[in-house]
Amino acid sequence: MSNEYTHPEMLVSTAWVDEHRSDTKNIRIVESDEDVLLYDTGHVPESVKIDWIDDLNDPIVRDYISHERFAALCAKNGIGNDTTVVFYGDKSNWWACYALWVFKLFGHENCRIMDGGRKKWMDENRAVSTEKPTYAQRDYVAQPQDRSIRAFRDEVRHHIERKGQLVDVRSPEEFSGEKTHMPDYPQEGVLRGGHIPGASNVPWSRAVDEDGTFKNRAGLEALYLQEQGLKSDEPMVAYCRIGERSSHTWFVLKYLLGFKNVQNYDGSWTEWGNSVGLPIEK
Amino acid sequence: MSAALDEIIDLFSGVEPQMRLELLLDYSRKLPKLPDHYQKLMEAGAGRIHECMTPVFLWVDRDDEGRIHPHIGVAEEAPTIAGIGGILVKALDGCTQEELDAVPSNLVEKLGLHKVLRMNRTVGVAALVGRLKKQAAL
Repeated sequence: MSNEYTHPEMLVSTAWVDEHRSDTKNIRIVESDEDVLLYDTGHVPESVKIDWIDDLNDPIVRDYISHERFAALCAKNGIGNDTTVVFYGDKSNWWACYALWVFKLFGHENCRIMDGGRKKWMDENRAVSTEKPTYAQRDYVAQPQDRSIRAFRDEVRHHIERKGQLVDVRSPEEFSGEKTHMPDYPQEGVLRGGHIPGASNVPWSRAVDEDGTFKNRAGLEALYLQEQGLKSDEPMVAYCRIGERSSHTWFVLKYLLGFKNVQNYDGSWTEWGNSVGLPIEK
Repeated sequence: MSAALDEIIDLFSGVEPQMRLELLLDYSRKLPKLPDHYQKLMEAGAGRIHECMTPVFLWVDRDDEGRIHPHIGVAEEAPTIAGIGGILVKALDGCTQEELDAVPSNLVEKLGLHKVLRMNRTVGVAALVGRLKKQAAL
């Protein structure tokens, strides 16, 4: 079964979600989107919304919410430690993968991505509701952050000194330093354009097919292993601009291709490219 | 600024932030369909405003009296920007050049939406307003 993902259980299909969505005792479906209004226009009927800024990021410090606040967020949405949380969202599950990464950061065990995301669900004309379901409060105990999946600036610095492998998932224009922001996000600029020395450049969206589902294993191996020469048994750091696009690639490398040690550097280019004295390449 | 835009600003700024999002969703449903000839141009990729992360398309017509008629097209599954488009078309359809010139470039802040929308939206909307003024001046 050479074409099977390393952790196929991390993905569920739209059909699976449709079949199991009424099992709200054990399963919580979570929509995470870039567009703040999208959930309100209609969503998987049993789903709740978790917003990457309002719910997962601290409003003051550049960091994620505390683990107490994470526990409260889960409890409020009827998520217990044993609940299977299925994430989906717009833009090929970009934000859904980000939410999953944050859930993993706080040690939530059973997380899944609905392959194809919101677009596939809508394209298949499955049930949609504008009602916002509420669920009975659950007790939730959040774990301390799992640092094995999160890289900080100084760790990345040591990583490049050891010639460790990095993947930069931004657009080629950002990677080359021609642009200091993502093509359509002009305000999130940095003082220096370029990339972290030694990084490969694989824009995150190359990991998905036209219909928003992930490429099959052969397609992903062709991209990351053959084309870029990355090695699944060596430590790996993924980054982008603020760590959201790279959480998508982190998911692909860790769960679909089975890279042994992948970290997401959420400080990413907005930290690295603005820091005094850090080396960059153009 | 047009009286219609003043009214909309009053409406938005008079309610709680969460309610503003609901109003914006209402306006996203009010965005009129593009006339066929613009719809075809949009499908061909013309008229796009590149500062907006979501595909947004804009054309401006002028009638015999010199009044301005903006036409805004937004991709599916992008209610936030469709809501802004709905506000602009509702407030500015049939406005004069003076009324258009008086539209503030910080419209998102005037509507009280800057705290509930992403920063990148704020920039996109400012670009949309800027382009509207520029295109009307042509």
